[in-house]
Amino acid sequence: MLTRKLLRTAWSYKAQFISMIIMITLGMGMFLGFNMEWKTIEVDTGSFFEQTSYADYRLYSEKGFTSDDIKKISSIKGVRAATRYLSVNLDLKGEKNKSLALDVSENYKVSTFTVIDGAAYDESSDGFWLSDKFAEKNKLAIGDSLSLEFQGTEISVKIVGLIKAGEHMICVADKNQMMPDYSTFGYAYISPKKLKAVLRDKIQNDFKKELEKSRVPAEFIDENLTGLFVTDDMLSEVETKAFAQINILSDLSKKSLEKAVKKKLGRTIMVTSKDDHVVCKEANGEAEEGKTMGSVLPVLFLAIAILTMVTTMHRIATKEKTQIGTLKALGFKNRRILRHYTSYGLFIGVVGTALGVALGYAVCKAIMSEDGMMGTYFDMPDWGVAIPAFCYPVMAATIALLTLISYLSVRQQLKGTAADALRPYSPKKMRKIFLERFRFWDKMRFGTKWNIRDLSRHKSRSAMTLFGIVGCMVLMVGGLGMRDTMAGFLNLLDHDISNYTTKVNLVDDADMKKSKELYRELGGDWESLAGISLDGDTVTLDIVHNPSGLFNVIDEDNNRIELKNEGVYLCLRLSDRAKPGDEIKFSPYGSKKTYSAKVLGYNRSVMTESVTITDTLADKLGIEYSVSSIYTDKKIAEIKSNDLISGKQDKAQLMESFNSFVEIMDGMVIILVIAAAVLGIVVLYNLGIMSYVERSRELATLKVLGFRNRTIGRLLISQNIWLTFIGVAIGLPAGVGVLQWLITALAGEYEMRLMLGVLTYLVSVVLTFGVSLLVGLMVARKNKKIDMVEALKGAE
Amino acid sequence: MSIVKFENVTRIYKSGEHELKALDDVSFNLDEGKFVVILGPSGAGKSTLLNMLGGLDSPTEGTITVNGRDISTLSDNELADYRAATVGFVFQFYNLIPTLTVYENVELVSQIAPDALDAKQMIAEVGLSDHLHNFPSELSGGEQQRISIARALAKNPKILLCDEPTGALDSETGVRVLKLLLGMARNYGKTIVIVTHNQSIAKMADTVIRVKNGKIREIINQDRPLGVEEVEW
Repeated sequence: MLTRKLLRTAWSYKAQFISMIIMITLGMGMFLGFNMEWKTIEVDTGSFFEQTSYADYRLYSEKGFTSDDIKKISSIKGVRAATRYLSVNLDLKGEKNKSLALDVSENYKVSTFTVIDGAAYDESSDGFWLSDKFAEKNKLAIGDSLSLEFQGTEISVKIVGLIKAGEHMICVADKNQMMPDYSTFGYAYISPKKLKAVLRDKIQNDFKKELEKSRVPAEFIDENLTGLFVTDDMLSEVETKAFAQINILSDLSKKSLEKAVKKKLGRTIMVTSKDDHVVCKEANGEAEEGKTMGSVLPVLFLAIAILTMVTTMHRIATKEKTQIGTLKALGFKNRRILRHYTSYGLFIGVVGTALGVALGYAVCKAIMSEDGMMGTYFDMPDWGVAIPAFCYPVMAATIALLTLISYLSVRQQLKGTAADALRPYSPKKMRKIFLERFRFWDKMRFGTKWNIRDLSRHKSRSAMTLFGIVGCMVLMVGGLGMRDTMAGFLNLLDHDISNYTTKVNLVDDADMKKSKELYRELGGDWESLAGISLDGDTVTLDIVHNPSGLFNVIDEDNNRIELKNEGVYLCLRLSDRAKPGDEIKFSPYGSKKTYSAKVLGYNRSVMTESVTITDTLADKLGIEYSVSSIYTDKKIAEIKSNDLISGKQDKAQLMESFNSFVEIMDGMVIILVIAAAVLGIVVLYNLGIMSYVERSRELATLKVLGFRNRTIGRLLISQNIWLTFIGVAIGLPAGVGVLQWLITALAGEYEMRLMLGVLTYLVSVVLTFGVSLLVGLMVARKNKKIDMVEALKGAE
Repeated sequence: MSIVKFENVTRIYKSGEHELKALDDVSFNLDEGKFVVILGPSGAGKSTLLNMLGGLDSPTEGTITVNGRDISTLSDNELADYRAATVGFVFQFYNLIPTLTVYENVELVSQIAPDALDAKQMIAEVGLSDHLHNFPSELSGGEQQRISIARALAKNPKILLCDEPTGALDSETGVRVLKLLLGMARNYGKTIVIVTHNQSIAKMADTVIRVKNGKIREIINQDRPLGVEEVEW
C-alpha cells in the first residue's frame, strides 16, 4: 500500500522528482562520462600497446647501431627483447604533399603491428604493410603499388596487408603536428630483408651517379657493374647508419638501463622511455587531461545535484508533515514511516544513477569511439569502454547519501508525538535583517523589501539557487575559456612564432655543409634541436639562426626576442632553474662534454621545455650540432627533394591539423555548455517552483488585494535576477580561477596561457541570465493560475 | 440604494465528470452602507457568494453588478483593479504577508488602491501604533486580525468583505475585533458583508441572508439590530 503511496506522492511532486532525477542523472552522467573517457583511453591504448609490443625504451644514436650493438643490448639482464629500428618519413612519388613514415623492425617481437586485412607479417616478404586509414583515405588497396623516394632512390613496393601499429597509434609526421591527417600522412612497414634490398639499390644508385659523372661510357653502366661495388661491409655500414634507433621491451628503470647500455656499448646513449615517445606521451597526456577535467567540472555537477537534493527533500518532508502525522496517528511505527519516506531518496538515487550510467556511457562513447571525437586522433582496432574502479563506490555513496538525506529530512518531522506531527508545518519566525538598520531600507519599494526578506528567510533555498547559478557560470566560463585559450595558443603559434610558408625537416645528423648550402638556396631561418641533460632532466637545446623572422623566439608578452650571443634563454617552464645572470651547465646526449653559459632571460616555448641559444654562441662554445629544420618562404612544390630532406610541411596544413584538434575540444565544450545550461535550468526551475509554492499564500494575498499578475510575476522574476547578478559576480571570477587551475594542470605538454575572449564573457553572462529569465518566466506564468480561494484557506 | 445586485447567479464547479452547484440561481440586492451577514452551515455556498462578490471568482451564469458595474464578465486585470479599488478583505486566518512588517503590510495597498488612506493612521485606529515595525509572527491572533482590518480599510473600499473574521479567535478577542470592525466600517461609511455560521453575529446585522445548498432560503431585514454589547456570545 505504501509503495502505491510512494508512486502517487512522487507523481504529485513530479516537478521536484523529475528535476531531482535529471540533476542526479546529469551530475552522475558527466562525472562518469568524463572519468570513463580517460580510463578508456588508458585501457584501450594500453591494451593496443601490449598487443603490438610497443617499446618500453628507445635508444637513439645519430651514428646508428651495429649488429654487434644490438647483440650487446639484447644480452642486458632485464631486457626481454630488443630490435634495431628504423622509422623515416618519406615522400610519396608522384603525389603532392603526401608522405609516409617507413618503419622496419629487425626483430618482430618489438614494435609490431596488427593486420586488419591481407597477409600476416613475413620477414622475407618484399611487400608493404600499409596503414589501413591511409589506404582508405587515399583509396589504396591490397595489390596496389606505391613508390617512395628514399634518399634519392626510388622504392616501389606492392601493398600486401593493411595494418594498425602501436608505434603510430597517433599518426603525426612530427611533434609539431597535433592531429593526424591520413590523407597526407600515414605509415608503412617493410621487412628487414626488403630494407637490405633497398639499401643495396641505394648504394648501387649512388655508384651509378658517380660513374655517370666519370668517363665510363654509359652503355657499360648497368646493375651488374654497380653490383660489383657493393660489399657486405659496405652494406652493413649503410645498414648501421639506417638503424639509428633500438627499441626495447624491458621492466628496468631508465637509470639502470642507461647505466647498463653505457657499460655494454662504452658510450653514453640517449635513452628515452615510452612516456617520452610522442605516441605514448600524447595518449597519456589525453588521459591526464581527461583526469583533470574529470576531477573538477563533473564533480561540480554532482555536488550541485546533491546539494539541491538536500533542499528539495527537506521541503518535501515538511510539506508531507501532516501526512506523516496521519500515518503516525493511524499506528504506523516510526521505523516503517522512516523506511517509506527514505525510499524516496533511494528511488531518486537508483533511477538517477542508472540513467546517469547510461548518459555517462553515451558521453564517453561520444568522445572515445571510432566514430567519436577521438576517432580521428587515435588509430586503434578495439574501442571498448572502461570505468575507473572508484566510480563504483562513488555511485554507491551517492545513492546512500541521497537515501540518508531523505532519512534525515523525515526523521526531523517524526520527532515528538503524533499530535505534533499532525500540526501543520509552521515557517520560521521573521526577524529583522541586518540591512534594516540603515536608513535607505525605508526608502526601498515593498517588492524589494519583500524579496530581500524572503531570501534571508529561506537561506538554504537562496544559497542553493546561488550555487546553481555560480556552477552554471563556472562551467560555461571554464568550457568556453578552454576553447579561447586553445585558440589563443594557436594564434600565437600561427602568427607570433611562425611566419614561414614551409618547414623543411632535414634527416638526422644532416651534413652541416650541405645543410648550409640548402639554407642558402631556400633562405629564411633554421633551427637545430637536440636532447641535452640539464640537472639530470632531458630538455631540448634549441640552436637558432633566425635573421629573417620566419621563425621567432618570443618573450612573455609574445614579442620577438632579438637573441644575443652572450648567453642562453630558458623557457618559462624552466624559470625556476636559474635567474637571469646565473650560470647553467648542460651536456648534450651522446657527448661527454659539459658546457656552461650565462642565462640572459626567459622565452615562451610553447611545445617543449627548452634552452635556446644562437648558432653563433653554439659555434663559439664548440657544440656539435646539425640543422633540424629550415623555415622558408618557398612553397612545397618549389622545394626539390633530396637525400638531405626528410620531409616538408606546409604551415597552413599544419595549422589545419591543429584546427581538427580544436574541433575535438569544441565537441567537449558543447557538451559542457549544454550540460551547464540544462543544469542551470533544472536547478533554478526546481528552486523557483519551491519558492513559488512556499510563497503561494503570499502571492494569493497580493492577488486578492488587487495586484495584477504582471506585477506579481515581476516580483518573482526580480528575485531570480538578483540572485543571477550575485551568481554571475561570483561565478565569473570563480570560472576564471577554475580555468586557470585547469590550464596549469594541463600545462605539462604545452605552455598555454589563460585567454578569455569578450565573446566568452558575453555568452556566459547572457546564457546564464537567459536561463534565469527563462526559468523566472516559467515560474511567473504559474502565478496566473494561482487559485486565490484555495491558497487562502487554512492557517499558515 | 443598491450597491450590490446578484441576478440569477449560478456557480458550477466541475471535477472530472462530477458537477457541484455551489450557487443555484441566486438573486438579491444589498444597500449601500449596510451591515450584511451571510449565514449558513458549512458547504452552503456562502464563501462562494463572498468570492463572487470579491471578484475572486466569476459566475457560470447570471450577472453581478457592483456600484453599477457588471463584474461577472471582467478580465483578469480588470478584476484585479476592481479588487484594488472597490473591495477590502478580512480573512479568518488574517493572510498578512509574513515577510513585511505591520506598517509595510498596511502601506502595501497604497501602491494599488487609487484612494488609499494613510497607513499609520489606520494602524493607530486599530490601536497598534506601538507595533509598526513588528512582523506579523510577533503579534497575537487578535492583533494580526486588527492589522488585517486596518489593511482592508486603508484601501478605502466601498465594500468590506469578511470571511469568518473571528473564526480563529477566542470569543473574548473575537468580540473585541468585531466591535472594532463594525465601529470603523460605520465611521467610514462602508458596506460590510460578513460570512459566518455564528448566529450571534447575525443579530447585529441590518440584513441577514440565509443560504443553504446553494440557494437563498430567506433574506431578513432587521429594523433594530443589536449592538455588540447587547449580544449574548
